[in-house]
Amino acid sequence: MKVLIAFTILFLTLNGNAFARNKILDIQEVKSPNGISAWLVEDHSVPVIALKFSFKGAGSSLDPANKQGLARMVSNTMDEGAGNLSSQEFQKELRDLVISLNFGSNRDNFSGNLKTLSKNKTRAFELLELSLTQPRFDKEPVDRMRKANQSRIRSSLSDPNWIAARFLNDIAFAGHPYAQNSGGTLSSLENISPEDLKLFHRSYLGKNNLSVAVAGDITAKDLETVLDKIFGKLAEISIPPTSNLKLQNQGKSFIYKYDIPQTIIEIMQPGIDRKDPDYQIAQVMNFILGSSGFGSRLTETIREKRGLTYGIYTYFYNMEYLDTLALSTSTKNENTAEMLSLIKTEWDKIKSEPVTDKELKNAKAYLIGSLPLSLTSTDKIAGLLLSLQQDDLPIDYLMQRETKIRATTKEEIQELAKSLLNEDQFTTILIGQPEGINNAKLLEIIPNVE
Amino acid sequence: MTSTTPIFHSLKSLSYVFIFIIAFGLFYNSPAYADKVFNAQSYTLENGMDIVVIPNHRAPVVTHMVWYRVGAADESQGLSGIAHFLEHLMFKGSPVIGGDDLKPGELSKIVSSLGGRDNAFTGQDYTAYYQSIATKHLETVMRMEAGRMENINPPPEHVLSERDVIREERRQRTDNDPHALFNEELATAIYPNHPYGVPVIGWADEMEVLSWDDTKAFYDMWYAPNNATLIISGDVTGNQVYELAQKIYGQIQKHELPPRNRTSHPPKTKKQFPIKYEHKSIRQPLVKKAYKVPSFHQNKYDALALQIIEEIIGNGSTSRLYKSLVIEQKIASESGLYYNCKRLDKTSLWVYASPLPDIELEVIENALDLELKKLIENGVTAEELSDAKSRMQNKAIYARDSLTAPAMIIGSSLAAGLNLNDIEYWPDDISKVTAAQIQNVAKRYLDPEKNTPVTGYLLPKKPENEKQPEQKVMEEPEQEVME
Repeated sequence: MKVLIAFTILFLTLNGNAFARNKILDIQEVKSPNGISAWLVEDHSVPVIALKFSFKGAGSSLDPANKQGLARMVSNTMDEGAGNLSSQEFQKELRDLVISLNFGSNRDNFSGNLKTLSKNKTRAFELLELSLTQPRFDKEPVDRMRKANQSRIRSSLSDPNWIAARFLNDIAFAGHPYAQNSGGTLSSLENISPEDLKLFHRSYLGKNNLSVAVAGDITAKDLETVLDKIFGKLAEISIPPTSNLKLQNQGKSFIYKYDIPQTIIEIMQPGIDRKDPDYQIAQVMNFILGSSGFGSRLTETIREKRGLTYGIYTYFYNMEYLDTLALSTSTKNENTAEMLSLIKTEWDKIKSEPVTDKELKNAKAYLIGSLPLSLTSTDKIAGLLLSLQQDDLPIDYLMQRETKIRATTKEEIQELAKSLLNEDQFTTILIGQPEGINNAKLLEIIPNVE
Repeated sequence: MTSTTPIFHSLKSLSYVFIFIIAFGLFYNSPAYADKVFNAQSYTLENGMDIVVIPNHRAPVVTHMVWYRVGAADESQGLSGIAHFLEHLMFKGSPVIGGDDLKPGELSKIVSSLGGRDNAFTGQDYTAYYQSIATKHLETVMRMEAGRMENINPPPEHVLSERDVIREERRQRTDNDPHALFNEELATAIYPNHPYGVPVIGWADEMEVLSWDDTKAFYDMWYAPNNATLIISGDVTGNQVYELAQKIYGQIQKHELPPRNRTSHPPKTKKQFPIKYEHKSIRQPLVKKAYKVPSFHQNKYDALALQIIEEIIGNGSTSRLYKSLVIEQKIASESGLYYNCKRLDKTSLWVYASPLPDIELEVIENALDLELKKLIENGVTAEELSDAKSRMQNKAIYARDSLTAPAMIIGSSLAAGLNLNDIEYWPDDISKVTAAQIQNVAKRYLDPEKNTPVTGYLLPKKPENEKQPEQKVMEEPEQEVME
């Protein structure tokens, strides 16, 4: 379906023909009679509809310290029985109609995903409406999900990457609700009752913090009616604000001794807001530095030239109250010090000299040209639409993004690198038996697990 | 599981697509399932290279894949990991058909600079390479892919540094992770005399000494157009692809291929004790049990019945195992059954469960056994069967909602010895499986009296100072060991 993506023109523009062009993705803004709005990309080439939504602010940062895992438990149990359907009846109907319905939560938001064949859409929308407005939170599924979460935590305790993430959150976000364990702790999960789940559902999932994104085999007109049916009964709610956060423990390194042949390395430093005018410059810089895998400076220096790792990546990790730039990698224990020093060298290099013309050209070509590959399924399209809305970005964001990427210069990248990148601000977590590391604080107990 | 999941060239991969395919059955079907599933077009070049084209005009992009019929199970003894090592070295310098030679790493960089993505992966029976990119760059990637089918010439220092990379890959995937080590241990027990018991990534000590000469010999032996299938999904037509492939891949000479001799699967004749794998990092125990069963390639009709067994017994929160162990008996937090039918040789069917605290693993094992016993004795109900068939046929439509998944499904199926009709008419075949057939298959393969399973317990290892006080036990007479 060529109308979906104006891809040919996009490439012409890349090649220098200044074509006027309106859209990369034909996004419609749909508003229901009762005022529920959604972004829609219609595509009737496959009989599938993907509907994704989120409730802003209704994330795990609202979890009380003694009830960590509350938002997660709500997301685990909202599809476990609703209205007059028990957990098994509800799940069986989803399964027999091949409807995928699930809920999720992160630090900032509560979200949901519905995917259905268009032939089953009527019942799919009804089941979603039921789970949103009349979730049962019966004792049996609540107990079962509590145990499943406890089992997941125990199981994760043999995963060094999970342990590294647990320490990183605890240390980099110290003193803020973000430091908590959003998946709950073995004991906090015991404190969560069906009443808590009902209260969370009633208090935080409202009409006024809702964003909706839809892609696939549905028309704008149909969607208008559907929106009211699904979301029309939600109440107006208000969410208590959380405080802003500065990245904690900058310039400090921490080691958790763990008996594995590698050291897992997690580094975080301050990042940049997605709405910052320089955000696209930062994306180009990060592509060259470490986000792109093969071709990125970190992969070239550390994997391709020296064989020190299987993977090294940098990425912007943006949350409501904090923006960060993070790096993840691993290497055998005896190489840890060399690895850390090479990372710092690359940080320094991209600040002290401009990137090459070739690096800049390739980064732009990929960042602009690969977008269509991210739009090859209804799921991916709906996911992109939702993320734009969650970050309050404009409906023509993809166009603006492309224009800004194309205009980015070497000088701008170097300027931004100088102001953004700072190896003295690294919060560094090492899990393993790293050799040659001085001045690191030893960690004893994995926080917020027991 | 480690032995059935392919290993990717780099971390940012489409491995989730693979998980999807393995978890949700082999294929998908079209709404009117009497029709062919994909309407894929197939061709063969004069040099023996097979071509499959799956037109999909949703967006002006393509996925271009080449699957070689060679994998880790074709390695010689002592050279474990060489198929995967070769896959890495395929990125380290090669000629281009009608273009300049590529330097190490250059192929991926060119793909990226054209807005595309590339990767590769190795399994027991296949090795595959792919790029997803704007249709107008198809010829460019084809010229590069064909070039590395003809020859590769990685500089010696790159061979050495890449060997370090795969060693790090093994540490990261396997040695850091007790679950992966446990799976490796179980695979050696299930396949004691067959290469499926050797991990795709290789054993650490053998990987350390892999040489360029051995790798090049492996490449020369197996990489040829008559041992490869080209699969293209996306905004192209069959004729267009055929002509382009003829022009580019058609230039490469075929050569004689060695037979794929695999060692046998000796039967286990007596009851096996569970393999207890203890690890100090483990807090959540796990029970897994594997039955050796035929793959689709070996016995299509038994495989179809086993796929339905997987759907009814072990797939999801309304499956028999989950209902029984998790919801009703409340002894486990998770339970299921999975069956990887896409293998050339005998494969395995697994049941598993994670016990809740204070539940003995023997209790879990008995509960798993009991569910299989019920299946053997009573079969499945008519309603279970018709619901399962309808789900399997419907679920599949979703896979069409993707550029790469159809190419992955067809590629991995053909690599496992299926033919295109097995794939195209799978929904029809599934609809014909009877309850009697299912019970019969359960009786033959899932009865421990007839087909001894391998059981594994993953357990916490108590630190030295917390060991139970020594108990007085009846001393057994020491066994004599003959030198």
